Amino acid sequence: MIMTSLPSTEAGTQLITLLAALMLVLQLLLVVQRMLLTSIRIFALQSLMLAAIATVVAYYHSATHVYVIAVLTIIGKVLLLPRLLNRLVRRINIIQEIEPLLNAPTSMLICGGLTLLGYIVARPFTTLEKLGNNTLAIAITLLLTGFFLMFNRRKAITQVLGLLTVENGVMLAAVALTTYGMPLVVELGIFFDVMVAVMVLGILVYRIRESFASMDTSKLSQLKG
Amino acid sequence: MLLTPILLVPLMASLACLLTPSRRVMEVLNVLAFAVALALGLRLLNQVLAVGFVAEWEEFLSADALSAWMVLLISAVSLAASLYAGRYFRRDLASGAVTPGRVKEFFVLTPLFAAGMFLVVLANNLGVMWFALEATALSSVLLVALYNRKTSLEAAWKYVMLGSLGLALALFATVCTYAAAVGLQPSEKLPSFNWSHLMTVAPQLDQRLIKLAFVFALVGYGTKAGLAPMHTWLPDAHSEAPSPTSAMLSGVSLKIALYALLRFHILTTQCVDSGFSRTLLLCFGLFSMFLAAPFILVQTNLKRLLAYSSLEHVGLICAGIGMNTPVTIFGALLHMGYHALTKPVLFFAAGNIHQTFHSLELRIIGPGVVKVLPVTVLLMGLAAVAAMGLPPFGLFYSELTVISGGFAAGKTFVSVLVLVALVAAFCGILTQLTRILLGIPKRERTSDATPWDGVGAMALLLVGLLVFSVWLPAPVLQLIQQAAGIVGGKP
Repeated sequence: MIMTSLPSTEAGTQLITLLAALMLVLQLLLVVQRMLLTSIRIFALQSLMLAAIATVVAYYHSATHVYVIAVLTIIGKVLLLPRLLNRLVRRINIIQEIEPLLNAPTSMLICGGLTLLGYIVARPFTTLEKLGNNTLAIAITLLLTGFFLMFNRRKAITQVLGLLTVENGVMLAAVALTTYGMPLVVELGIFFDVMVAVMVLGILVYRIRESFASMDTSKLSQLKG
Repeated sequence: MLLTPILLVPLMASLACLLTPSRRVMEVLNVLAFAVALALGLRLLNQVLAVGFVAEWEEFLSADALSAWMVLLISAVSLAASLYAGRYFRRDLASGAVTPGRVKEFFVLTPLFAAGMFLVVLANNLGVMWFALEATALSSVLLVALYNRKTSLEAAWKYVMLGSLGLALALFATVCTYAAAVGLQPSEKLPSFNWSHLMTVAPQLDQRLIKLAFVFALVGYGTKAGLAPMHTWLPDAHSEAPSPTSAMLSGVSLKIALYALLRFHILTTQCVDSGFSRTLLLCFGLFSMFLAAPFILVQTNLKRLLAYSSLEHVGLICAGIGMNTPVTIFGALLHMGYHALTKPVLFFAAGNIHQTFHSLELRIIGPGVVKVLPVTVLLMGLAAVAAMGLPPFGLFYSELTVISGGFAAGKTFVSVLVLVALVAAFCGILTQLTRILLGIPKRERTSDATPWDGVGAMALLLVGLLVFSVWLPAPVLQLIQQAAGIVGGKP
């Protein structure tokens, strides 16, 4: 266990808990949001919360290395990715998600259940959290609801957003469980990969749009068995 | 300096292909790069046998017997695929199935794909291994979508979505492992995050976290390795990709993901010291085998049939490792090698058939392919006999090793299950392939692929398979034995 000598760790813990809770709230908003551009904005905001958590951890543990994560998150996930996705949405000229498979109240109910599940799974590990309560539970919840988002939506772009929130969940776990974040080379690799992944997905979304005249992934159903 | 060149050679080839406008040069560069990689792999084999553990860049890159074995597999399959690719794409260009730009994309991405796989097996750092695997996924997604047909886009979309989900879970596993390692060191300095370091401190790691990590790694990397029930992307991607890519996906890419899973298995076994991880591997392996057999029987598409056969073989490898006796692990690793030499031949033959009949649907192709493409069918038949596990080919020997190892260790029930699944898959492939390959064609067909196209690459692999089936060189044997020792938990 790391015992930090800073007296105000309590404040840091509360701040992180608050920010993590906000991440969860934004995730739930994303689940019921159908306008694509608003969804992208919500994702950007959620990533900003993640960057803020990283900053708080870096400050209270005086781990300069984690500041790098915060800066990378802001550059990559708050500025660059949303801009790329925005351009993609405008280019393929689709503004709204069609009716999701499950309607908003049902989705909310399921996400409530998933949150509960996240807390149950994280329970045995609460002693391992270094800073902030319940962050691991929230991270696992983000993972689960991200999956749900991907399965519930039919537009390719929203599925990509779901995947990105899963990534946010994993990064939150990395910060919450280890305080130091991962070694720098790994962080850089992850961000590089996320960028390339979004580009590859963008290319595919664009091609799907070209040859299916929609990005409705429920039309991708020729291959079976 | 041996590990760095193995990574750099394909990267340079990829870069050079990006810059050159000539397709001929690209073909030669690809073949040359993988030939060099294979030669370097052989040198690595010797070095690993001599010193046991090779490391470079302050242990950033490292290789033990298991990684050296994987390096050999990657370079051999990639070499065969690039040998086959030249003619294959020339025919595709002639028939207008692809544009020159797409062919260039293939020759640029394939070495990148291979370089990613080399990095997976040579990286000592867990995190680097993870992002190398993600890099292989991303480069192969574009290869799967190469033909830009509706179906290939669908396959690519499923592949990238499921693959990325799996890799996100695997990243979570990596984070959990790191958390366990951090908790161990009270100091303020960053702990080392290398496999070689983790193995030395394995018994002191937090057992719950390591177990959690293994479960996430199993689902995550298992998705990429095509283990059932996370395999749904596999038949789509394998059937829609160009044949050389299918060969690489099936021949090595699945095994590279399995390698990543094995590293977690080794760590978990060291840490928890119970049958936790091996029981899970055994269950998933058996489930994959049993799921594959009925799908082979009802399949109507040739390459999907081959993809399900790969699923069955990956299942067998997993089950062999899950049984966890020295003999079964040895058999499973040997099976990896023989399967890597066999499956590409089948996919290359399927590529020839596709280009001749412009379809992969079994009822359109068959019966009587033998009358149209005699040489291709001969080689395909031999490879199919090998893949079914009949002598004199090595797969017979490796399957028998796994089963007999299981019986010898008293795991009768599991061994019988493996045997049943193998027999079911055997019957499936036999009935399906004899139905289309042999017999009299329903209609007259003119073959636009000359009979000898792609035969070089196929024959090379088959001769290799046959030679290594009857005579396994002593260094290779020793390497596999050492690798089996590593997987089995002996130093």
